[in-house]
Amino acid sequence: MGIADRLIEDVGLRRGVSRLTPEIIEKTVNAVISGETGARLKAYAETCMRCGLCAQACHFSLSHPGDPSYTPAGKVQQTMSVLLKTGGRVDPDFIYGMAQLAYTECNLCRRCVHYCPIGIDTGYIMSTVRRICHKLGVTPQYIQDTAHSHSATFNQMWVKDDEWTDTLMWQEDEARDEFPDIRIPLDKEGADIYYSVIAPEPKFRTQLIYQAAAIMHMAGVDWTMPSEPGWDNSDMCMFTGDFEMMGRLKRKHFESAQKLKVKRIVMGECGHAFRSIYDMGNRAVGWKMPPVPVIHSIEFFWELMQQGKIKLVKKYPGPVTVHDPCNVVRGRGLHEKLRELVNFLVEGGIVETASNREHNLCCTAGGGVINCGPPFKNVRVAGSKAKAEELRATGVKTIVAPCHNCHGGLEDTVHSYKLGMEIKFLGDIIYECMEKPEV
Amino acid sequence: MNAAYQFVTGPLAWAAWGIFLLGSAYRLISMYQLAKAKDPTAIAYMSWHFSLRSIINWLIPFNALGWRKSPAMTIATFAFHACLFLTPIFLVAHVLLWDQAFGVSYATIPDGAADIMTLVVIAACLYFAGRRLVQPEVRYITTPQDWLALIIVLAPFLTGFLAYHQAIDYDAMIILHVVAGEIMLAAIPFTRLSHMVFAVFTRAYMGSEFGGVRHARDW
Amino acid sequence: MKRTLPLLLSAALILAFAQAAMSQQDIKSLAPQAFGKLTRPAAQFNHEQHNEKAGLTDCVVCHHGGADGKIDKSASTEGTPCADCHKVKAEGKNTSLMNAYHKQCIGCHKAKGKGPLACGQCHKR
Repeated sequence: MGIADRLIEDVGLRRGVSRLTPEIIEKTVNAVISGETGARLKAYAETCMRCGLCAQACHFSLSHPGDPSYTPAGKVQQTMSVLLKTGGRVDPDFIYGMAQLAYTECNLCRRCVHYCPIGIDTGYIMSTVRRICHKLGVTPQYIQDTAHSHSATFNQMWVKDDEWTDTLMWQEDEARDEFPDIRIPLDKEGADIYYSVIAPEPKFRTQLIYQAAAIMHMAGVDWTMPSEPGWDNSDMCMFTGDFEMMGRLKRKHFESAQKLKVKRIVMGECGHAFRSIYDMGNRAVGWKMPPVPVIHSIEFFWELMQQGKIKLVKKYPGPVTVHDPCNVVRGRGLHEKLRELVNFLVEGGIVETASNREHNLCCTAGGGVINCGPPFKNVRVAGSKAKAEELRATGVKTIVAPCHNCHGGLEDTVHSYKLGMEIKFLGDIIYECMEKPEV
Repeated sequence: MNAAYQFVTGPLAWAAWGIFLLGSAYRLISMYQLAKAKDPTAIAYMSWHFSLRSIINWLIPFNALGWRKSPAMTIATFAFHACLFLTPIFLVAHVLLWDQAFGVSYATIPDGAADIMTLVVIAACLYFAGRRLVQPEVRYITTPQDWLALIIVLAPFLTGFLAYHQAIDYDAMIILHVVAGEIMLAAIPFTRLSHMVFAVFTRAYMGSEFGGVRHARDW
Repeated sequence: MKRTLPLLLSAALILAFAQAAMSQQDIKSLAPQAFGKLTRPAAQFNHEQHNEKAGLTDCVVCHHGGADGKIDKSASTEGTPCADCHKVKAEGKNTSLMNAYHKQCIGCHKAKGKGPLACGQCHKR
């Protein structure tokens, strides 16, 4: 039982491992452990009483009952514990398994926090394992490609600078059929709101930009989007362990907002990007809290609702269930606002999944896991069995999930487990139900 | 017998308490120095309010999600830790030793209750051992260190119980009991038992991050 | 009449000594009534055997006098129950009854390097 019994071939991992020697491994492991970790890792490693309570926290272990190698402590046992015990004297094959486990079998969702009496942050330990893998050059090919894109273009999807503005103008143009005087204002100095998205939106989810523009327009918001790099708030480098790039990305993003002298950054319905902007990336550059106030779409839409700026012509037919994205719920406590908003938008209310709010079960896509690509899709879908069962038990037809990665993951889950449910962004529902001009 | 008893209750006791107190202080100070040097991004978020909020919420049985999902373990661990602390501290015989040695006296628990509490500790240790052997998720992550910690804690209670009831050779048992207790004290800073010293800080940090930054519960 | 008083007095004295001598031999354990219900089994103590083993002839070694928390080794108090001076709950500077026993016995045993020290060695079940 363990990662060695379920290795999956991945070009990135294989090529990375082929370049390793035991000397390189030992040196790199110790450079990270002694150079970048301290009391936290030491205390976590020492005080974990191996009680196994966390086994019931993790959707991976809930989806593989009886296999302890999927439990949070079991995953640490197979990775960091070995590195600490051996002082980094492990062979390249071990690194392959360690990387596969850390990148594809832990979503860094932090649900295990609710199960550990001692307060051990397994997500942090697995992030540190990923950091070592990154330094060793052993990362899954697909996610590494997005990290390379970040390094080269400051966005995740190799979107060229002209393609970005072109896409925005295209969406503006499209939207004018419905909203004749709509604008997507670029580089508007001093705007109330700086709206930032993740690169997959211009790349293949342009309707999200369209909908956001429509909502902003109808609510009469003073907003802007930047034309220069910095517009992408996403951060796969945070998940590969490339913390240097994580810092550079966030600096670019904040400075882009600062240059435009905007009051606040509102980010689209993304989970991981929120984690990067609000929690991890800002710290990497030395900002205790974001230098420009950042709010997630959930909170932004909630504010618009409170101010009466969302005018509905109908309610969305429900009942629906709500999927709480870990990065904005365990990461920002937005679950109640999310529910108030959904109740405002939906007819028939919310049927909760058994695990909800801070205690939500992860979509199994987050933490960069879905970004590791097709080689690991089956593992991911198998790991979401517990989530699928909770979703099925609600008996509803619609899942509201305000996070891109959650969407991607839940689509696969819904399909594979034949749940027959549709998955909606808040923006989808608001756009569909809001008042639009008569054209 | 007299020389041995006097040695284990005299110099050895001083040594054990010394190792426990100085060792714990050393571990705490060096851990704090390390945190200051390497984890400034963690220290920066520490908050008294949210630390205490987290600690208190985890001290209430069945309050945290983890407690609710493992009721047997919750009962066992709360009973275990309560008895583990209360029994030796408030045992009549121990308080009398403090009184004789330093003239310090305080409240005690009746011997009958202490006897039951000792059995609770022993039973909990057996339950923990059983989990380590039988439950796959616990067995998978159990290391020799975990067994060591369990045995170190079980020993003083088992020998104490046998000595109190004078079941087997009392003279040998009482010396074993004293030595076992001293091993436990001295082992606290340097084994898994160090969670007695560190857990409050790991808990506090998690509480501070979840309360102060993430605005979410961590229980 | 003048002769009867000394006679009575000496009779009383003889009687008292005889009684003391008799009870000394009978002492097998220390369980003064002042304690009421005992926490542990009474400490086993055979007065004659103990003194023989310990080579004690001078009563004052144990039956000391004193006041205000100070032991007076010159005033012998045999025949006076310990509990008369050492109250169960310590009064003033005087040691409590239980501590008086414990200190008296264990202190001497420690000093001499023999005799019971641990709880169960006296409080046998």
